[in-house]
Amino acid sequence: MIAVSEYVHNIKDTVSTIFEGMAVTASHFMRKPYTVQYPDRMPVRVQDTLPFRYRGILDVDLEICTGCLACERACPIDCIVIVADKDQQTRQLLLSQFDIDIAKCMYCGLCSEPCPTGAIHHTTEFEGADYSLESLIRRFVQNPVIAYKAKKGPETDPRIAPILNRGMAYLDQWAQPGGEKPVGEEPA
Amino acid sequence: MSTLRTEEMTLNMGPQHPSTHGVLRFVVRADGEVMREAIPDVGYLHRSIEKIAEKVGYRGFMPYTDRVDYVCAMFTNQGWGMVCEKLAGIEVPKRGEYCRVIAAEFNRIASHLLSVGAMAMDIGAMTPFAHVIREREMINDLIEELCGARLTFNYMRIGGVAWDLPPGWREKALAYLDHFNPILEEYNALISWNKIYVERLANVGVITPAEAINYNLVGPNLRASGIKWDIRKDIPYSVYPDFEFEVPVGNGQWGKLGDSMDRYVVRIREMAESSKILRQALEKIPPGAVLAKVVRNFKPPAGECQIRVESGRGDMGWYLVSDGTGYPWRVHVRTGSFAAMGIIQKLSAGLMIADLVTLIASLDVIAPEIDR
Amino acid sequence: MQTLIQNLIASGAFGKNPPRDLVAAIVVFVMSAVVFLAVALPFGGIVTWVERRVWARIQSRVGPNRVGPQGFLQWLADGIKIICKEDIVPDEADSRLFKMAPYLVMLAFILPWAVMPFSSSLILADMNVGILYMTAVTALTVVGVLMAGWASNNKWSLIGGVRSAAQIVSYEIPAGLSIFPVVLMTGTLSMQGIIRGQGWAPQHWFLFASPFTFVAANILYMSSLAEANRTPFDLPEAESELVAGFATEYSGWRYACFSMAEWGNLFIVGAIITTLFLGGWQFPHVTNNVVAMNVLQVITFNVKVLFLVFLSMWIRATLPRVRIDQLMTACWKYFVPIAFVNMIGTAVWVAIWPDGNAAMGYIMFAGAIVIGALFIQRVIYYLRRSRMEVYFNPTI
Repeated sequence: MIAVSEYVHNIKDTVSTIFEGMAVTASHFMRKPYTVQYPDRMPVRVQDTLPFRYRGILDVDLEICTGCLACERACPIDCIVIVADKDQQTRQLLLSQFDIDIAKCMYCGLCSEPCPTGAIHHTTEFEGADYSLESLIRRFVQNPVIAYKAKKGPETDPRIAPILNRGMAYLDQWAQPGGEKPVGEEPA
Repeated sequence: MSTLRTEEMTLNMGPQHPSTHGVLRFVVRADGEVMREAIPDVGYLHRSIEKIAEKVGYRGFMPYTDRVDYVCAMFTNQGWGMVCEKLAGIEVPKRGEYCRVIAAEFNRIASHLLSVGAMAMDIGAMTPFAHVIREREMINDLIEELCGARLTFNYMRIGGVAWDLPPGWREKALAYLDHFNPILEEYNALISWNKIYVERLANVGVITPAEAINYNLVGPNLRASGIKWDIRKDIPYSVYPDFEFEVPVGNGQWGKLGDSMDRYVVRIREMAESSKILRQALEKIPPGAVLAKVVRNFKPPAGECQIRVESGRGDMGWYLVSDGTGYPWRVHVRTGSFAAMGIIQKLSAGLMIADLVTLIASLDVIAPEIDR
Repeated sequence: MQTLIQNLIASGAFGKNPPRDLVAAIVVFVMSAVVFLAVALPFGGIVTWVERRVWARIQSRVGPNRVGPQGFLQWLADGIKIICKEDIVPDEADSRLFKMAPYLVMLAFILPWAVMPFSSSLILADMNVGILYMTAVTALTVVGVLMAGWASNNKWSLIGGVRSAAQIVSYEIPAGLSIFPVVLMTGTLSMQGIIRGQGWAPQHWFLFASPFTFVAANILYMSSLAEANRTPFDLPEAESELVAGFATEYSGWRYACFSMAEWGNLFIVGAIITTLFLGGWQFPHVTNNVVAMNVLQVITFNVKVLFLVFLSMWIRATLPRVRIDQLMTACWKYFVPIAFVNMIGTAVWVAIWPDGNAAMGYIMFAGAIVIGALFIQRVIYYLRRSRMEVYFNPTI
């Protein structure tokens, strides 16, 4: 048996807390929904709204790849396969295969970190669904290419310079070990 | 009708079920609506992560630590970073430690938000879960700008963090905190103090302080039983001594000490405390480097090392045995959810089936953390 | 309805000398089919769309808005999909009972439409025990639910079915007791009689006639929610525990029957409350044109019922569910004693003021406006504090 005061108290508590709860939900009626109606009712493509550091599907700029295999060594699940051999006649490093299996990739970013030029980088693409498993292995080398050799001064070739600049800007986002970067006021 | 036959039912709350938090299985022996015993059966999410560490090496293991507890990925990252640094004697720069604390406390808020939202959904209220997901989306947007991913962050490295705070991020983070505190109060008005909700949670699954210690519970589960034990205060690590914050402890205000309502309210209060820590950290963050210099082929000296991190689920222990090569000899993670599974069988005697769901939700069990 | 038919026969719409009883019976038959097929079934479907949109706005989401204008055809698409699904009858299940259960539940949904008072002359059967018939017939769901729970050969369904049966049977009592105050005040059980005992203005509604009827209305509303298995009393179909309770093993059209009955019951709950307490179809007499008056009355009735349906959805989105023993405690320790007190209080009230007390109507109505203003003040408080963007447009 419970006391009369407790009985009345229970009823009063129930009514008052339900009243407050209903007021909160009623206030939500008047608010704008937070939903973003992707992909058709958006002013810009979602991929363009994502930040520069977004770790989406990997892309390789072969023009600036030096063939150092740092990314292949760094990948924890071995989803990058590179074949880079020194050509006997021309004594130049030739890239004949650069495959990334994006089905295995876990988008961790450990491959883009040690790249010296930013050739392998994450893009803001995330829509990779496809109908065949074969298409999930991205083969970046169609014909064997010569690996890039970094120049002493700034890059002079007008075709390669913007790609290199973008690659280095991507690498600048990462923290430099032991480096003193000023507190975030610089442009990205 | 000389004797009425009554038997007990054996039910299977199987691995596919809308309310167990992850892939868990319970074999429930019930007498009608009241349970005699609920025997947990774990192992459906075992992925041999600790064994994988021996193959991928120190640097490569960092993304795998995200998957140990994907809701508290920053804490697992921090744990692995700290245990390697302690073994190799690396010191993380001050700004790196501040970045770690900021990321970790945001992750704590997100983890607790998910926990209280899932608890409300299991009790039957669908709206608080949707609101919680909206708040988590805002935190995820912040962290996406910081490190590029929304769930498995891979933000920290051995020796610090991988990315510094981008320009303008501090202001956005402070604006989010200004938005968050009124929303937390509104959430409380909607569900936490609701009489039906309090009645569902009070006096359910009471864990006495002695039981909590004997069963090795940690984190909010332990603090709800009245024991003030928080690794951030009792075995301080990183830069937590620089901040002023309190450790909320359950006080049995709505029922007995250590019931589900205490566990719920401790999590709500911890979110408020985390936002305090975040404000202080965002104000006081010093300039400097965020990553220490660590050799490319990281080879810590042979030996063993153990650290503890206060993650969203409690005291997460990391144990590393190294043999001097570039690959660990043994890695072990001790997680709070594993201990919580052990106490469910004992607490379930006498509860109703609806209360079993409440109990699992209030212990904040995340299945991948149990099985790794 | 009968007067309408007699007028139609007298005006010669069916020929010179029709057999009156046969014509009346056929007209009623056709009207029942129209009401059921064109009003009840589509309502069961459309209300799912409304519920999803209402829920979504409460949860800061959008809800279905792609299939048709504003997603209006979503219910049709869902209906067609569910009809095309495979009809699975579990192997060990009692197949005769298993197949019969949805029909019983649908029956409990269909039968109350016979006494639904849409306007002063549009009611299929103006029985003089209208409200008693409605209460009796909605209790048929117990049989269907128990059958579904038992015949599924599934322990979780059995638990759900037994819980539901206990719940519906228990909450019949406060619901029935809360109908008594209104019956005492009007002296008749017929639906049209009860509505005619009220006026069109809120202060003449039975809701505000006395504090006892106000409390009785609340008890009736909550008990009806419990009978309709709606949150906060939706244990039998607690998604987080029992997947779908007694209806777990059902698929395809049989599951659609349960679903439609559950959502259609909202209208019936709303109709009962509207008739008894909110003045039904009463509308001020603005014109002598009978057809226009009937149309206005139909609109009034529907507006009131749909407001109550909206209130049910709003409550479902806000409140968590109660446990089975708390449900029984609430029924037997809180609702039933309060309902008894209401009944006795109303008996005393009617003895003191046999013709009703108009002043009390005004006072209670003023009190309700004060509570409403308080509510709006809290809503504005939460809107301001959260500083989120305000957006009143229901279309998005």
